Amino acid sequence: MKSSFPKQFIANTLALFCGWLVLSGKYDNFHLVLGFTASCGVAWLNTGFPHSPFQQFPWGRMVLYSPWLFLRIVESSLHLTKLILNPSLPIKPRLITYRSQLKHRGAIVVLGNSVTLTPGTITVEINGNTFLVHAIDEAAGNDLTTGRMERKLAWVFQEDTNL
Amino acid sequence: MVVIAIGLILVGIFFLVVAAIGTLRLPDVFSRSHAVSLTDSLGAICVLAGLALYQGFGINMLKILVVLVLLILLNPVIAHATIRAAYRSGLKPQTEEDQ
Repeated sequence: MKSSFPKQFIANTLALFCGWLVLSGKYDNFHLVLGFTASCGVAWLNTGFPHSPFQQFPWGRMVLYSPWLFLRIVESSLHLTKLILNPSLPIKPRLITYRSQLKHRGAIVVLGNSVTLTPGTITVEINGNTFLVHAIDEAAGNDLTTGRMERKLAWVFQEDTNL
Repeated sequence: MVVIAIGLILVGIFFLVVAAIGTLRLPDVFSRSHAVSLTDSLGAICVLAGLALYQGFGINMLKILVVLVLLILLNPVIAHATIRAAYRSGLKPQTEEDQ
């Protein structure tokens, strides 16, 4: 861990300084030096923790997963819009218990967040890898109950779940 | 560019109105939270994307995109916390049999 300290420190400083550049909006010398000093300080304080959950996080495949999730969000938004605007309000709310086979803790967090982010389903409780999900009707919960979302995440985290 | 921006903002406003109607019409806290999540997803995304396009390429567009990413990351967390608190405090969701 000690050997990667400078590399990690420089990466953190650059990331923080980019954030400063976007948010400050003042580009005279005084503010640039101030921002750089602050970035170095914060990066120095935060570098060297050995078990950061983001170290083995598959950012690349995560970026490939997000367009699929966005498409699902649009589709289920339209589905929910139809349900709400229907005068007879044809909802069939239900609680679904779902046992996931994902092992990576990050994968479970991303699955819970994806479920909540999709309109029509919301994660009520996560216990180990058992999900309690509230769905507004049967179609809304389909992605989860058929294991479609989980298969995608198993690919993102390269897990063998025989789904 | 401006036309696309205005179109996106109008679509966003439509979804915000639908979400408001849903919040009024749906029966309990759990199903109402679905209507609220409609605001987060398509409503806010469309309005903010429209604003970003309206600003044109520049520092303000980047700032709006930062807000957009934060919204997408934080909203499910807050929705989940609210619903879990409701569930743990003993509120049971209405199901098909009750209706």
